[in-house]
Amino acid sequence: MGASDKNEIYLSSSPHYAIPVSSKHIMFVVLASLLPAAVYGVYLFGFPALLTILVSVASAVGSEALFRFIIKEDIRVGDYSAAITGLLLAMILPPSTPVWMTALGAIFAVVVAKEFFGGLGSNVFNPALSGRAFLLVSFAGPLTTWTAPFSSGVDAVSAATPLSLLKPAEGAILTAAEIAEKSGFATAQEFYLNLFMGNRAGSIGESAIFLILLSFIFLTATKIIDWRTPVSMIVTTLAVTTIAGMDPLVSLLSGGLVFGAVFMATDYATSPVTPVGRLLFGFGCGLITALIRIFGGYPEGVMFSILIMNALVPFLNRIIPRKYGWVKPAKKTAAAPAKASASSGGAQ
Amino acid sequence: MTAKTFKGGVHPPERKDATKDLPVVRVLPSSRTVWIPVTQGGAPNAPIVKIGDVVARGQRIAESDAFMSAPVHASVSGTVKKIETHLVTGNVDALCVAIEDDGSGTTLFMDPLDPFTCTPETALERIRSAGLVGMGGAAFPTHVKLSPPKGMKIEYLIANGAECEPYLTIDERTMAEHAAKIVDGVAICMRITGATEGIIALEDNKAYLVPILEKAIAAQRAIPVGAGAFAISVVLCKTRYPQGGEKMLIKAVVNREVPSGGLPAAAGCVVQNVGTLKAISEAFREGKPLIDRGLTLSGGACAEPKNVEVPIGTLVGDLIPEVISLNPGVCKIVSGGPMMGIAMKSASFPVQKNTSGVLFLTSRETALVEESPCIGCGRCITICSCRLAPVLIARAIKADDLEEATRNGLMDCVECGTCAYVCPAHVKLVQHFRIGKHMVRTKAAAKAAAEAKKQAAKAASEGAR
Repeated sequence: MGASDKNEIYLSSSPHYAIPVSSKHIMFVVLASLLPAAVYGVYLFGFPALLTILVSVASAVGSEALFRFIIKEDIRVGDYSAAITGLLLAMILPPSTPVWMTALGAIFAVVVAKEFFGGLGSNVFNPALSGRAFLLVSFAGPLTTWTAPFSSGVDAVSAATPLSLLKPAEGAILTAAEIAEKSGFATAQEFYLNLFMGNRAGSIGESAIFLILLSFIFLTATKIIDWRTPVSMIVTTLAVTTIAGMDPLVSLLSGGLVFGAVFMATDYATSPVTPVGRLLFGFGCGLITALIRIFGGYPEGVMFSILIMNALVPFLNRIIPRKYGWVKPAKKTAAAPAKASASSGGAQ
Repeated sequence: MTAKTFKGGVHPPERKDATKDLPVVRVLPSSRTVWIPVTQGGAPNAPIVKIGDVVARGQRIAESDAFMSAPVHASVSGTVKKIETHLVTGNVDALCVAIEDDGSGTTLFMDPLDPFTCTPETALERIRSAGLVGMGGAAFPTHVKLSPPKGMKIEYLIANGAECEPYLTIDERTMAEHAAKIVDGVAICMRITGATEGIIALEDNKAYLVPILEKAIAAQRAIPVGAGAFAISVVLCKTRYPQGGEKMLIKAVVNREVPSGGLPAAAGCVVQNVGTLKAISEAFREGKPLIDRGLTLSGGACAEPKNVEVPIGTLVGDLIPEVISLNPGVCKIVSGGPMMGIAMKSASFPVQKNTSGVLFLTSRETALVEESPCIGCGRCITICSCRLAPVLIARAIKADDLEEATRNGLMDCVECGTCAYVCPAHVKLVQHFRIGKHMVRTKAAAKAAAEAKKQAAKAASEGAR
């Protein structure tokens, strides 16, 4: 025997190779792709937005570490998952949200929606959306108070969002031109452009459509997210709301549709893993969003639609691709019809 | 020529440059002793020699009556010193015949046989007598592979020169150095199976071999009778792991799928590794049984990686340091490639008929990362070349739901390891599947045993009446 005796030899089952990409790496890229819209949100809404972001991220990361310390699990601050949840939550909150409320929402998101379910990868509902839903039903007032961009300071005047103007009121649906006029713009074109650039009242990170689209292109090009969910969600929402008579461009550019489709509906742990499952998930999110926007009590439906669809993920995950060499099972005898029908689910 | 391929898969770093241009050199073990496992593929054999017997190179030393078995031959001439268990690939101890080389070099080969004038049955018998098994890794007895079940028509004979595993270059060198024998082997297999089309498939990282192979094909076509009658072509596939897997190669080359649980013959195909084809040719033309094989010795810890040919049974440790000298820092010794090979606890194991390479990997080349929680990214589904849902299989196994795991494709998994390779959470997916498959088989066996017991009890009670 030779020199190999002097070495520490590892035994393990193959493969003995692995790509250098880790979960942490992916999370970091997602975090980085959120930053442009976050920075732009601070530019639009000033110091309150920055404060909301910092408090939310700090509360999320801190509460995760504290909770895992208490239950004697390894601290996973380094995987950036809690930081992403904190940032995502801040970006879907109004800039004027009180600090303590933001902190409470972030703690709820991380501890209740994620850690109670088993932590990273095991949660059923999107943590950031759960945090916002928790705040919305608890403190409806502050969570629906919007400030116009560039209105300095915490005492910003309340402003109506274009999406609330789009909502059918007493059976009448406003046209884009009418909404533009109500929002203080001369033409619909100018209104669209301002919406695209994020110059409107809304949540901190949802308004800058052009930055979110850039992030979408980046994340799909690097194969971090699947294009299927965002595309099917947006297309479905637009199709259904357009049929209902709403202006498609206003539907697209106002509210949280694009942000939710790109960053929330694509959350790994709470969305399906199979290609067809993802298409259907996006379709379901889009349909429920549209229905809430048309008939629901809230002007926006993105949050609830994704949370509702989160609950359906285990069922969507049953739709698997047709396996290599799959053969239709031969007709079983009458004794086992249930089993035969279960295995035929192998084909999509 | 457009490169064919299959859906899914990955392209891991190839790391073949160290050995791809090095000719295969014949070397012998420093201890002058070979340890030949009595069973190397197929049903278990029993030794037919005794300690003290003098054997010649090529003499049969172990066999079995089972159809699914392939005999084993002495790879050196000399004296049987021991018949006892020794560490073999897979980290188990198996019965081996230790033969000390007396240096006389006496051989006992079979008489040459013309594969194109004898009956296919005689040809199959020759292949079996030569102890031929799949040299690509699976060690499946070749004569069984060439005897498809009745009613299955073989159309394609595919020579597997894909060699998609990183590091390994022995198939590449075999094609470069023995193209004529490979082409002859393809013709022999076509004659036995009745296949109408012979295809030599390789990946486009070896495109430079195409003219060499085509020249060999043209030379064979010039033969007026026998081997010249068979239509053989070369097909290039896009370099992609696991193209060398039988199922994937069939998909890539003829775009057919082997039915789940079925044989490649059901898709009209028989796939043979190029090394096996060379050995088939030698079994007829020279009467030489499978007693030598080429393999790649590589990895970051090798001072000078090599392609070598050794007598089967050579202990890898007996090649150190004369043939292969190691730098410090060996972290894993892998029998086979890095994607599907087996990590060994020491280098003291014999080269077998299916050992395509031995790698000495440093910690920098191999993955020693701990598993972290699955984040549900779905990458394993995107790359699975069998279109399974690895993440869902793993979740089902974790939940002890073997039925759901099977529905998601557990038993269709070819264990190529691509899912574990791409997993950003480094979940040991394929490793879990091996355990899961074992659980399914154990459960099925237990069920069958219980059923048999019930039947026996029923029969006994009926008999008593």
